[in-house]
Amino acid sequence: MYVWEFAALKPYWGLIWQGLLVTVFYTVTTVVAGLVIGLTVGILRTTAPRWVTMPLRLYIEVFRCTPLLVQLVWVYYALPVLIGVDMTPAMACFIALSLYAGSFYAEIFRGGIEAVDVGQWEAGRAIGMRRGKIFRRIVLPQATQVMIPSFINQTIMQLKNTSLVSVVAVGDLLYQGSVITASSYRPLEVYTTIAVLYFVVLFPLTLIADQVELRMGAHR
Amino acid sequence: MNANGATLVASNIHKAFGDHEVLKGVSLSVARGEVVTLIGASGSGKSTFLRCLNLLEMPQQGELAIGTHKFTFGKGMRAANDAKLALLRRSVGMVFQHFNLFPHMSVLSNITEGPVQVKGMAQSEANELGRDLLAKVGLADKADTYPSRLSGGQKQRVAIARALAMKPDVMLFDEPTSALDPELVGEVLSVIRGLAAEGMTMVLVTHEMAFAADVSTRVGFMNAGVMAEIGTPEETIRQPRSERLKAFLSRFHEAS
Ligand SMILES: Nc1ncnc2c1ncn2[C@@H]1O[C@H](COP(=O)(O)OP(=O)(O)OP(=O)(O)O)[C@@H](O)[C@H]1O
Ligand SMILES: [Mg+2]
Repeated sequence: MYVWEFAALKPYWGLIWQGLLVTVFYTVTTVVAGLVIGLTVGILRTTAPRWVTMPLRLYIEVFRCTPLLVQLVWVYYALPVLIGVDMTPAMACFIALSLYAGSFYAEIFRGGIEAVDVGQWEAGRAIGMRRGKIFRRIVLPQATQVMIPSFINQTIMQLKNTSLVSVVAVGDLLYQGSVITASSYRPLEVYTTIAVLYFVVLFPLTLIADQVELRMGAHR
Repeated sequence: MNANGATLVASNIHKAFGDHEVLKGVSLSVARGEVVTLIGASGSGKSTFLRCLNLLEMPQQGELAIGTHKFTFGKGMRAANDAKLALLRRSVGMVFQHFNLFPHMSVLSNITEGPVQVKGMAQSEANELGRDLLAKVGLADKADTYPSRLSGGQKQRVAIARALAMKPDVMLFDEPTSALDPELVGEVLSVIRGLAAEGMTMVLVTHEMAFAADVSTRVGFMNAGVMAEIGTPEETIRQPRSERLKAFLSRFHEAS
């Protein structure tokens, strides 16, 4: 029978805490960047001419159909060679995670926008509103309601996906876990703690998602 | 107002979807205060023509003049831009078969959206206007309700109030009662009847023959993309000239 000894982790709490902060930091920054990319690409894909939407489609498919781990490693090792600039691991992670999130958010935005009945656009035009205003005031608010559940799911995935940055030695929660294991020889305690921490951060998010979904049903 | 005294003049309107020619040169001139009803079989182009009158559909040929807004369509003509279209649509109200209310806004906000966002009216003034219009369509108590809580007839009356809020020169109705349960048709028709009595200029597409005969100054029969007959209700409905119109009307009487 294995004797658990969580007390052995005591000296490492600082590191674990630091790792958790890095994880949250990457989640927040790449979600924000991903949203900006996703909203822009999503809107362009529903409105722009074909020569704009085709390359955007290519971007989305490339990022959706290759593993994030491969993207990370590629941006870190291959991209610097191609464009001739040095890339810190932190930069590579930020770029890859943001583009990855952006590709998924773009599809969520596009789906949400296209789910709004064309009659809504027509009603806006019929009272003399211009395209931009119809989009902002009529279509986007309705699209957002449709998108929120997928949006929260994707954001939860994004937080979990940040664990891949440990591969290029960025000190996130998982990376600190491997460091601590190497010096404490307590892999069970370390990785259990880390799993619990991910859970504790994410579980409330899923509860919020459920609440939001319920609330949204309100005026339908 | 145009030289000939008409509020709305559409001339020789052509519209095709791909190689399907839906409108083959339709003309209509509507004087101020007139109520023109369009009837015709399904697919004859009634909705398409109506949607050409506020340029939700862009004709490929012809001319349209409403108030001071003038458009000429055809090869070599520059496509009208969004701003110019928006300006025309301020003065043309439209009511849709399926209401198309904004579901994320209260009834009152649905009505004030146009005046505030398009005309820049102060919200308080728009609210007052909105409440007056709601009273006029018999829904004074529904201002803060959301559209999903309304019956079809109530939705359509809100849609009419929303269009009226822009103080249009012309109102267009595309089968405003076709999506309604039979017992709700009357309340919507009576609102439209009220507008006619006030002298609102209107073009409407409807299958309510008795209503059309009663409220219209003229009734037009569309067939296969042309205005086959147009005249007073007496002429078009009681004394149809063409065989097609006779057949259409008799099918109608059998059905109802
Ligand atoms: N956006 C579109 N794209 C392609 N075809 C269209 C489009 N809109 C209308 N049509 C076609 O144009 C023809 C005329 O349609 P329209 O809706 O004007 O008829 P309608 O007289 O209003 O008929 P109904 O009584 O059924 O409403 C139909 O054959 C229809 O399929
Ligand atoms: Mg129709």
